[in-house]
Amino acid sequence: MPAAPEGPLLPLDAVVARTLPNGLRIRLLPERGAETVSYYTFFQVGSRNERLGATGISHLFEHMMFNGAAKYGPKEFDRVLEARGGTSNAYTSNDLTAYYEEFASDALPVVVDLESDRMRALALTPETLEQERAVVKEERRLRTENSIYGLLEEQLESLVFLAHPYRWPIIGWMDDIERIAREDCQAFFRTYYAPTNAAIYAVGDLDPDATLALLERSYGDIPKGPPVPPVAQGEPPQRGERRATVRHPAQAPAVLVGWRAPAARSPDAPVLDVLQACLAVGESSRLRRRLVQDLELAVSIHVGWGWRIDPGVFTVFAEVAPGARPERVERALFAELARVAERGVSPAEVRRAKRLLRSAVLHELSTHDGIAHALGQSEALLGDWREAGRALEHYAAVTPGAVRRAAAEHLDPTRRSVVWLEPGGAP
Amino acid sequence: MIGLPPAEEERLANGARVVVARRPGVPLAAVRLLVRAGAALDPAGRHGLAHLVAQAARRGTRRRSGRRIDEEIEGLGAELGAGADEDATSFGLSAPAEWLPRLLDVVVDVATAPTFPQAELERIRRREVASLAHDLDEPGTIADRAMIMAAYGDHPYGHPVEGRARHLAAMRRPDAAAFHRRWYGPGVATLVIVGAVDPAKALRLASRRLGGWRPAAETPPEVPAPTPREREVWVLDKPDATQAQVRIATPAIPRNSPEYFPAVVANTILGGGFTSRLMQAIRVNRGLSYGARSRFSMSRSAGLFFVSSFTKVESTAELVEVALDEVRRFRDDGPTGEELERAKGYLCGLFPLSLETHGQVADKLCDLALYGFGVEEVTGYRDRVRAVTAEACREVGRRHFPDGRGVVVVVGPAKALAPTLERFGPVTVSPARRIL
Repeated sequence: MPAAPEGPLLPLDAVVARTLPNGLRIRLLPERGAETVSYYTFFQVGSRNERLGATGISHLFEHMMFNGAAKYGPKEFDRVLEARGGTSNAYTSNDLTAYYEEFASDALPVVVDLESDRMRALALTPETLEQERAVVKEERRLRTENSIYGLLEEQLESLVFLAHPYRWPIIGWMDDIERIAREDCQAFFRTYYAPTNAAIYAVGDLDPDATLALLERSYGDIPKGPPVPPVAQGEPPQRGERRATVRHPAQAPAVLVGWRAPAARSPDAPVLDVLQACLAVGESSRLRRRLVQDLELAVSIHVGWGWRIDPGVFTVFAEVAPGARPERVERALFAELARVAERGVSPAEVRRAKRLLRSAVLHELSTHDGIAHALGQSEALLGDWREAGRALEHYAAVTPGAVRRAAAEHLDPTRRSVVWLEPGGAP
Repeated sequence: MIGLPPAEEERLANGARVVVARRPGVPLAAVRLLVRAGAALDPAGRHGLAHLVAQAARRGTRRRSGRRIDEEIEGLGAELGAGADEDATSFGLSAPAEWLPRLLDVVVDVATAPTFPQAELERIRRREVASLAHDLDEPGTIADRAMIMAAYGDHPYGHPVEGRARHLAAMRRPDAAAFHRRWYGPGVATLVIVGAVDPAKALRLASRRLGGWRPAAETPPEVPAPTPREREVWVLDKPDATQAQVRIATPAIPRNSPEYFPAVVANTILGGGFTSRLMQAIRVNRGLSYGARSRFSMSRSAGLFFVSSFTKVESTAELVEVALDEVRRFRDDGPTGEELERAKGYLCGLFPLSLETHGQVADKLCDLALYGFGVEEVTGYRDRVRAVTAEACREVGRRHFPDGRGVVVVVGPAKALAPTLERFGPVTVSPARRIL
């Protein structure tokens, strides 16, 4: 078998990185390929920066960013961008808020003008706030209240976290979405959307020197913001299993289990990526084989593991097969996890997991959008954009022993939280 | 100009087509094996058979067990995708290019020589039935399935690809084996390889693997055009839902229609991007929904035009009204000059993003083969978009956007919804499980 050729994943040396006097971080990477540019603006704010009573403000605010600023009024942002051959969107996570545009490369000056306009002088009118509040309530009805996984996930996170802001949903509680006032949004903008708390990543068909000069001209005069308040970290240790039930009309039960898991910066984060692939990526993964194929107790099984700034959550979700009981699904699941914690996984399983991860990283880095996002996410979560090019080094260092130890340590039965979906009501 | 990478193409003696394109970029190779046999060929009472065959083919061949296939593919860092649509079945994967010879061997083995082991086929069938039942918990999925059934009626495209629960329950191993024998063959197959590969070597490899494939028993017949449907309103009952899913649909044009480019531009203006009329009217101006869009869904022999959105139960009739008003306004007046230019700028600017990865290029090459197009469909894309006139858009709207015709499908609590929807046409209320 030929060995996998390992060149550098990303030309990190070609990244032009600067920080403007107002604190705005800029990272530019010229890339051949499509004649397009991907342009990301990351703000270091998400639901972890919120407080009870105003949960969901990060996400609601993300909607407000598309509703007009000083130079480009309401509805103009997307109109101008689309006419120039571009598209935009944004997402809010527990940790960060990211805005992105993809466009034909000659539209770069227009995009910089649009983005710097809204960072400098966003218009927050009462009318657009009410309109976006209604839209966000529909989004919550779509993704949470009428979605089984949404309901279970919301319940699980509030079990796993007692004190940390990860306990509330990113979209916020309905009552808080109703309550957020325009003044809350104005204060939020001043604090969290200042250049000090932001970073720009542009990747693709661009000239880094000219782009840097353009960005300095466009953003350089935006004033610094106040210091960002620290995030409460008082999560107490978990002293036993926690359980909850969600009753909702459904065809079959489901089981969602979660463990509080280490922060992105922990050396165990990539080890848990490998464990995730061993457990539930692909048909030959452990849990798929055991629960879906051999025992037919579950119709599907997924392991969720996303890196977060503070210790996050590692989840297993099983849709229970018709006629099967959730107790049996749980028993089989926990028995398999106990086997991994005691006897570990084989070197072949680890090799398979690493190869799957390598393919995933190569796929991610095969588009301008994927590269720009990876740079931004690495800096937001790990404090260094260079980490985007180092993923494979971290995976290469993972041994079967490390996977066993991580499973034993982080998937401890006495520190799990379990949510059952109990079908009830009319279908 | 937007181009495809230079592709080398060969037709083997048994009729199979092989297309290989070398591309710079990440050291991956994308493989697609397309067989022009899909759900339109599902026999009466066996809806879902093409889909089941696609899922079950990887569960065992003459040379490999299902488990060995999983291990071989995933052990090399790839995941095998298999799926059917109305017209075709596709097997595909992307993986580090150094493994191409071994992976290609498995992909071809799965598509050409499956044995459908009894126990594995039964298991996949049970899984498919169970996962259909789970669809009842997804209001959007219920609406999509109902829309296909309502808009196409008893046309060969008129059942969801995943099939119907009681049909699946009746399927047995001989059904799957017979479908494969009858329709899967080199005469309707195209193998596409794109990425970090040497084209000459890849062609040699592909012809060795595919050259021995024997012809299928039959060639798929052409599918007729569907008949337009009178206005009907289907309400699928989900008594506890707090939000209603809405679809408005009508049969429209196949992919190879001469109206394709005007249709793409017209749809972009009505319900494509974020600035579309539907998005503005429904989300931005009224806060009725998080999303609203329209689309031409185009297959080889027919297609649908549909509007899709959702809103809280109380505002459902208002949303349908607003959507139909926007459709009517477009039919009457067509686009403004500014809208037309914006839509063209948008489509032309973003087109390169649909050809950024090896996998996207492989998919595009499969499409060209499936719909019988040459590369000018890609290289001439921007010129043809730019040539679309306002009058052509209005004509597309007049001919294909639903006016008095078309079905309205709503999923939500029927008791609250049905009375509010009667003004749009005759209402039929059914339990959500009608879509199974």
